[in-house]
Amino acid sequence: MRLKISLLKEPKHKELVSCVGWTTADELYSCSDDHQIMKWNLLTSETTRLVKLPDDIFPIDLHWFPRSIGGKKQSHAESFVLTSSDGKFHLISKLGRIEKSIDAHCGAVLAGRWNYEGTALVTVGEDGQVKIWSKSGMLRSTLAQQGRPVYSVAWGPDSGKVLYTSGKQLIIKPLQPNAKVLQWKAHDGLILKTDWNSVNDLILSAGEDCKYKVWDSYGRLLYSSQPHEYPITSVAWAVDGELFAVGSFRTLRLCDKTGWSYTLEKPNTGSIYNIAWSIDGTQLAGACGNGHVIFAHVVDQRWEWKNFEITLIKRRTMEVHNVINDAVDLLEFRDRVIKASLNYGHLVVSTSLQCYVFSVKNWNTPLIFDLKEGTVSLILQAERHFLLVDGAGLYLYSYEGRLISSPKYPGMRTDILSAQTVSLSNDTLAVKDKADEKVIYIFEALSGKPLGDGKPLAHKTEIVEIALDQKGLTSERKIAFIDKNRDLYITSVKRFGKEQKIVKIGTMVQTLAWNDTSNILCGIQDTRFTVWYYPNTVYVDKDLLPKTLYENETSEFSKNPQIVRFIGNLITIRRADGSLIHLNISPYPAILHEYVSSSKWEDAVRLCRFAKDQTMWTCLAAMAVANKEMATAEIAYASIGKIDKVQYINSIKDLPSKESRMAQMLLFSGNSQEAETLLLQTGLIYQAIQVNINLYNWDRALELAVKHKTHVDTVLAYRQKFLEDFGRKETNKRFLQYAEGLEVDWNKIKAKIQMEIAKERERAAASPAVRASVTVQQ
Amino acid sequence: MAREALGAAGLHLDDLNKLRVLDPEAAQQTAQLREECGAFLDKIAEFQKIVGSLIELVDQLAKAAESEKMKAIGARNLLKSIAKQREAQEQQLQALIAEKKMQLQRYQTEYETLCKIEADQNEFIDQFIFQK
Repeated sequence: MRLKISLLKEPKHKELVSCVGWTTADELYSCSDDHQIMKWNLLTSETTRLVKLPDDIFPIDLHWFPRSIGGKKQSHAESFVLTSSDGKFHLISKLGRIEKSIDAHCGAVLAGRWNYEGTALVTVGEDGQVKIWSKSGMLRSTLAQQGRPVYSVAWGPDSGKVLYTSGKQLIIKPLQPNAKVLQWKAHDGLILKTDWNSVNDLILSAGEDCKYKVWDSYGRLLYSSQPHEYPITSVAWAVDGELFAVGSFRTLRLCDKTGWSYTLEKPNTGSIYNIAWSIDGTQLAGACGNGHVIFAHVVDQRWEWKNFEITLIKRRTMEVHNVINDAVDLLEFRDRVIKASLNYGHLVVSTSLQCYVFSVKNWNTPLIFDLKEGTVSLILQAERHFLLVDGAGLYLYSYEGRLISSPKYPGMRTDILSAQTVSLSNDTLAVKDKADEKVIYIFEALSGKPLGDGKPLAHKTEIVEIALDQKGLTSERKIAFIDKNRDLYITSVKRFGKEQKIVKIGTMVQTLAWNDTSNILCGIQDTRFTVWYYPNTVYVDKDLLPKTLYENETSEFSKNPQIVRFIGNLITIRRADGSLIHLNISPYPAILHEYVSSSKWEDAVRLCRFAKDQTMWTCLAAMAVANKEMATAEIAYASIGKIDKVQYINSIKDLPSKESRMAQMLLFSGNSQEAETLLLQTGLIYQAIQVNINLYNWDRALELAVKHKTHVDTVLAYRQKFLEDFGRKETNKRFLQYAEGLEVDWNKIKAKIQMEIAKERERAAASPAVRASVTVQQ
Repeated sequence: MAREALGAAGLHLDDLNKLRVLDPEAAQQTAQLREECGAFLDKIAEFQKIVGSLIELVDQLAKAAESEKMKAIGARNLLKSIAKQREAQEQQLQALIAEKKMQLQRYQTEYETLCKIEADQNEFIDQFIFQK
């Protein structure tokens, strides 16, 4: 990725340019010390003088009133705030009329920022005050007051907090009084600029110590640059939070959100005092010390998938390189390319007006449809369809270009969604919202309606990253997520009234990704690269989970690595320094998944025998149990030396009826509650009681026995035996109550049990549905 | 006699016996002086002309010298600033080189991991063939 720079020969402003701001993706306003406000139209390359300000106004900072989010749409920003050196800020209309000038600070007003909703304005000044103003310019409050000038200010993602500088320190102050203020020393020199992104919640700071730094919202340092030759005078996030730009004396840098730099340019600009990204995030403008306004366009983005490499070589041209036969195709677009995504054999490109869908099989005839609103901020792909996110909503399209659905939830804010907070699979869409970070909204992809009872999936702590698995049955769809404590959890998205089971399967997980062709999960746990070959194991036989993992202890992934993709058996990881690391895993587990999904159990066993790998056998054991394939499970458990489980499976095989076998399988997976329910439903009361007795769940056993008026003596007999074995006395009041006047006669009980079993056998024989084979088909 | 008498009266006769107020000798000397003076004046005028052209020449030389001097100073300053410019340029290029080096480093790491994958896959293929 690099920047394509355009700079006029002669500067348009006579003095230094102090601030710039975009209205649309092609129109920019710039203010300079020569008191002029210029309007730059990039489509016609025209520059017009909008207005000449009075001679006593020296502009310092400008910020456009935000375009309203969600609700009412407004395609253009209508006015902006301009702060000046005489202690005032001015509300100026798009046409350049000064609507209002308000005395705000003693000394210059150094920065002014609207919040994301446009309901409040914050200004900071040389007098060290941070003031909050209403939309019309009425003073609401003085948020902070300190002894030194505040050079820069930024709003938090939910507009509830304000970040400002104080000498070498950064301070985050919530708007509510009495809330905790976060303050830390960020630089060794004066901090000149700071910015806070609403999508990734990361903070940028730049200072006179010639460094720029990236922080998370808790003030933890994520990246610190090498010192430059000159102080860093500006930093700015791109709207989607994937990139940021850094400006210094004759220096313009494009960096990834993790801090490493994509490209460095040394234009003849003087110091770059202010950088503004256009709304679509494809270009930026810089206010230069020598009167220039520099424009830079992001080009050379790359997308890779299997044997295809696609590069955006110009604003409107993509080059497709097929590595296998070295064929090169050029894709031309009518408008500027804003976002693109390449996966599952399709390339989806959004331009400012249209969406193009290419198939990798045919680059010549794309499917084109018009977009409702221009700026697509995110494209996500699944095998059958893809999701477009723009400022107004989420839209699910098929690869034929048909709008499938448009899911909605209350309080939806689409501008802050990123690939970490939205996940798409063939049948399900999951979204994590900013309003309540502990819940995940889950939608049926095809209808766009909330899944099940409509209640979102709730977790006990804030969730950071979510991912849906891509393959398998809809009823078994799983979602994996990482919470604030960096614990990895997995749960089923389908819930049938009963309490959801969220199972923790990893700790200190930095990043995760599901495989595109089978339900294999990979992630980085602490410093270990980990692959969960069959995460579903936790629902089948939790003890097996550690044995279904592949772990690779390497120090090569330094701090904060990110998994870029997991295609086939190839994993690509982006290290914190920006280098890509490719890893491959054994191809066998994927093949095993394939066999199992098509019920080719014999092939699966043969594959495991061939691979001679304990992990494979363990996976197969878990898969076989999950699919109630007892014969395979027996072989697999025998191969990993779990003799106890083999024996148990054998005992299950000998059970007389299908229902008991099912119940025992559920018990085997640890679902005693469900096993009991199943037995009771099919009328096998004694078996249900026996299950509880075996689990030493005495109260429940007695309760069932009493409720169904049968086998009370059996429960009491077993209880007595248990107490005798352990040399203890009965203390349970209910047992004491029922034990009164009941004589335990083991012979009678045994006869009764035999009778029950015989009865069950008879029943099973009577119903033709039960097969003679030991296999219980699903 | 008469001469003497005339002489006493302040009158003289010259050789051509013309009556003269001035002594003919003095008159002759005066005339001579006048001639000499005329010659002197001419000479002086000539001298002035020569000196004038000389001054002009020197002035020209001075101007030329001055401009050369200015040029020299300019050149010297330029030289100095070029050294500085070069330094700045060098700094810029160094920064760009450092950037490229970082990029190279990244590509190298990527290449290494790809090589490792190739080795892994070759090994896998060998193993696979061997086992068959």
